[in-house]
Amino acid sequence: MQHVANVTGDRTGVSKAAVEVRDLSHVYVGRDGAVPALQDIDMTVPAGRFVVIVGPSGCGKTSLLMMLAGLRAPTGGTILCDGRAISKPDPSRVGVVFQEASLYPWLTAVENVEFPLVLKHAPRQERRARAEAMLKLVGLEGFGARHPHELSGGMKQRVSIARGLVQDPPVLLMDEPFAALDEQTRMTMGHELLRIWEQTSKTVVFITHSLTEAVYLADDVLVMSARPGRILDRIHVDLPRPRTYQMMATEEFGALRERIWEQIRTTP
Amino acid sequence: MSASRFSRPSPRTVRRLIGIMLLVLWEAIPRLGILPELFIPPLTKTLNVLWLDRAIYAAALLVTVYEVAIAMLIACGAGILIGSVVGGVAGIRRLMLPVFSSLYAVPIVILYPVFTAWFGIGSESKIAFAGVYGFFPVMLSTAAGIRTIDEQYLLAARSMGASLPQLIARVIIPASIPTVLSGLRLGGALTIIGVVVSEMLTSADGIGYLVTKNRTTLDSPRVFAAIIVILALSVCYDIAVRFIERRTLVWQTAGRRDATSQSVRAAVPAQAAA
Repeated sequence: MQHVANVTGDRTGVSKAAVEVRDLSHVYVGRDGAVPALQDIDMTVPAGRFVVIVGPSGCGKTSLLMMLAGLRAPTGGTILCDGRAISKPDPSRVGVVFQEASLYPWLTAVENVEFPLVLKHAPRQERRARAEAMLKLVGLEGFGARHPHELSGGMKQRVSIARGLVQDPPVLLMDEPFAALDEQTRMTMGHELLRIWEQTSKTVVFITHSLTEAVYLADDVLVMSARPGRILDRIHVDLPRPRTYQMMATEEFGALRERIWEQIRTTP
Repeated sequence: MSASRFSRPSPRTVRRLIGIMLLVLWEAIPRLGILPELFIPPLTKTLNVLWLDRAIYAAALLVTVYEVAIAMLIACGAGILIGSVVGGVAGIRRLMLPVFSSLYAVPIVILYPVFTAWFGIGSESKIAFAGVYGFFPVMLSTAAGIRTIDEQYLLAARSMGASLPQLIARVIIPASIPTVLSGLRLGGALTIIGVVVSEMLTSADGIGYLVTKNRTTLDSPRVFAAIIVILALSVCYDIAVRFIERRTLVWQTAGRRDATSQSVRAAVPAQAAA
């Protein structure tokens, strides 16, 4: 029994890369000619890891995430997800949570969550049950019948997370999901996200502007430079799990935050 | 004693009181000889001829309703269809939208004589004219509705693996319904106006024709009776539209709020282009 568990543990263990990016580059062809947006991006995200990408505005973080999601084709390089190349959006492999406005106001919360399953023509009962389970996971049990305008900002993002996870993808991409929330809600949501992450053992790639959020959430923080976007550094966050709010006040937390800030600040 | 109770009546009560007052005035002014009955026939006299000629008015109303229904079908169908293409395909939009926007400002009633030459003075010319008249607001608001959909909606749908038909059916259409509906409301009202006006101009049937015919014989009560029928038709239309709008109200208001707070960048160039 233990042996079997061990084998499965190895198969999905941290040694395998969930997301692998090789030599990725992207060039925008705009009015002023070709502008290199991303350059020499190499990154490996082991399965189950929580990776946060930070960087100055316009460094191409969102572009990178779009490419990981299969929403935009890179000019060069390869992206492997779960060992296979990403060429178009595949919600069964990669779930995406956007910053805002991506819930459909004409659908209720539970209908929003089951939307990807509707697109797959899943049987009604099955998809409804799955969506309800996801709402429960994100702490919104009993809110399924509400429309987005009847939910708070934090609750809407919970629904978005539930929708991103509804097809049980191994990878969850999050593009500044809490940026539009107030500070308190943002802290709570970060904590909630870690709970959900620990419960589901997903691989998370998370983009943010907030260094505190980055250190609080991440196993690894990738620091990107301004245009053309390159990965400057990979900073491992060695704080124990589960993370607590108290850790934010520790010297270690402050030092990590400082280190990331130095990287961003000193890069031209 | 009851002064405080009546000091602040609800707007609804006030509206009703004004309505009743107008009806009373309608009756009283000609009866008291303030205005000649040729200008305003008393309400009771008008209602009386409406009752006496009810068969004539009913037949005329039927013709008008038939013309309005077909014209609305044409205006809404063509408006939504062409509006979707103009709003959805950037190339066609750049090519056609300025043309359609300018045409909207043209008093289309000048085309009516042409339409009578083409289609005769029967129902066909009214339907054609009213159809064109109602087409523009439907088409323009459909184009606007599709063009101003929040990009995030489309991006999210694509990230969830939506195909193009799914994108259209499950995101673009529901997201543009509030805007399209406001266009339908205006377009439908214009179709009624179009039919009645064209009946008044050159015609042999319909409510508008009864207005013109009785006016030439200075039969004021029958003119006003026809006006009452037209008013009733418009009110019925408005009630029907409100009913439909109320059924979509939940997310219509939500969509509007989203539209103002979150898609400012989408709405601003849209307005600039329009």
